[in-house]
Amino acid sequence: MKISICVGSSCHLKGSYDIINLMKEHLEKNDLTDRVELSAAFCLGRCTSTGVTIQVDDEIITGVCPDNFESVFNQYVLGGKLG
Amino acid sequence: MNDLWTDLGYVSINKKKEELCGDRVEIIKTDTASTLVLADGLGSGVKANILSTLTSKIICTMMAANMPIEECVDAVVKTLPVCSVRQVAYSTFTIIQIIENETAKIIQFDNPKVIMLRGGERYDYPVISRVIEGKTILESTIPLQLNDVFIAMSDGAIYAGVGKLMNFGWQRENILDFAEAFYDDSLSAKMIATLIVDECNRLYEGEPGDDTTVAAVRIRERKPVNLMIGPPADPADVNKMMTLFFSKEGKRIVCGGTTSTLAAEYLHETVRTSIDYNSDPAIPPIGFIKGVDLVTEGVITLSRVVEYARDYVNGTDLTAAWSNRKDGASRIAQMLFEYATDINFFVGKAINPAHQNPDLPITFGIKIQLVQELASCLEKMGKQIKVSYF
Repeated sequence: MKISICVGSSCHLKGSYDIINLMKEHLEKNDLTDRVELSAAFCLGRCTSTGVTIQVDDEIITGVCPDNFESVFNQYVLGGKLG
Repeated sequence: MNDLWTDLGYVSINKKKEELCGDRVEIIKTDTASTLVLADGLGSGVKANILSTLTSKIICTMMAANMPIEECVDAVVKTLPVCSVRQVAYSTFTIIQIIENETAKIIQFDNPKVIMLRGGERYDYPVISRVIEGKTILESTIPLQLNDVFIAMSDGAIYAGVGKLMNFGWQRENILDFAEAFYDDSLSAKMIATLIVDECNRLYEGEPGDDTTVAAVRIRERKPVNLMIGPPADPADVNKMMTLFFSKEGKRIVCGGTTSTLAAEYLHETVRTSIDYNSDPAIPPIGFIKGVDLVTEGVITLSRVVEYARDYVNGTDLTAAWSNRKDGASRIAQMLFEYATDINFFVGKAINPAHQNPDLPITFGIKIQLVQELASCLEKMGKQIKVSYF
């Protein structure tokens, strides 16, 4: 599985740094660091008013913030095509 | 014009308890020559300051306008007010003129003799002496080589330590040894001057017995750097902008997410973005494209570079935190402030539709102002700047 977190100007200002750290933490906690390729990306072209844009394989998820991170992680990463 | 470039810098410290410096350095750069004049006014304080200011200004202006040295000296002698105590009117001076980055012309009157280093070692240059208006003037004409360094100083430098740490002060010979010992190709002119003045101040035990000034001139290679930020206003111009940018000689910096994607497409490469925030979480991580020396985010990174540039020019930032950090803004600062001699900006005026959201916390229309302010700071650092808009 490939996960990219946007660090473009707009997402950066809305907390890419925190989301990257949360993602690293969660991948470790679930023992997934070997199975997920985590990277950053410059502007994914979906700048929104709240939250950070991330891409999980081919799917783009917008508005990720520390409050909804847990559910995004559960739905897209744990519930994704990890097998 | 050859591939060489002239780097000039100087530092002064005042005689203890004096608020004004009696030494004065004046620099004028024209298309064909750089002229540096170091004048040391008789005495100290206000009187010395006026004498040296007049001397350096007059000589610098006249020399830059290609007037012969006889006329410059004549003008100085006839203009300077006579000191009521000493019944003489003069200030000593050293002129270093670098013509077309090919020839150095050195003219000296009564200051300690200019030190020249070639390849980091002392070099005895030929001197012709002649008398103009009753003053003995030393003249030298020297064909330049890469890494030649000239160090001019006021006599405060060679008196450093008299009666304190040394019996006879710091002789010119000692300064030569010191300069040879610390020499390094990468030291800027300002840094060379700073190192010597610091040592003088140490010998004076922090209480200089005379105004002390050191000016340095260094001949280095031209190092062009090209920086591109923002896509062109008209998407049809992308190819034109990229072709111009990538045909330039020198290092390349690409700023901005969209811009780096376009650059990567042009090169048939991909952008790899680092996930590592380095030491500073306020600055977005850098990216990598094969064929580009540095890839960074746009406006946030550049805003920080402008802050660094402003502090550098004002001399308010003596710690220069950017000089050894690895984040995008620090890397740009290192390349533009230290490495580059000529900088070409390629600025795309496109408005990013993704940034036109009124809920966004900052305005992104500041790109052009940022580039303009950065360019004007870099000009003050003595760099050759060209800005092209697309």
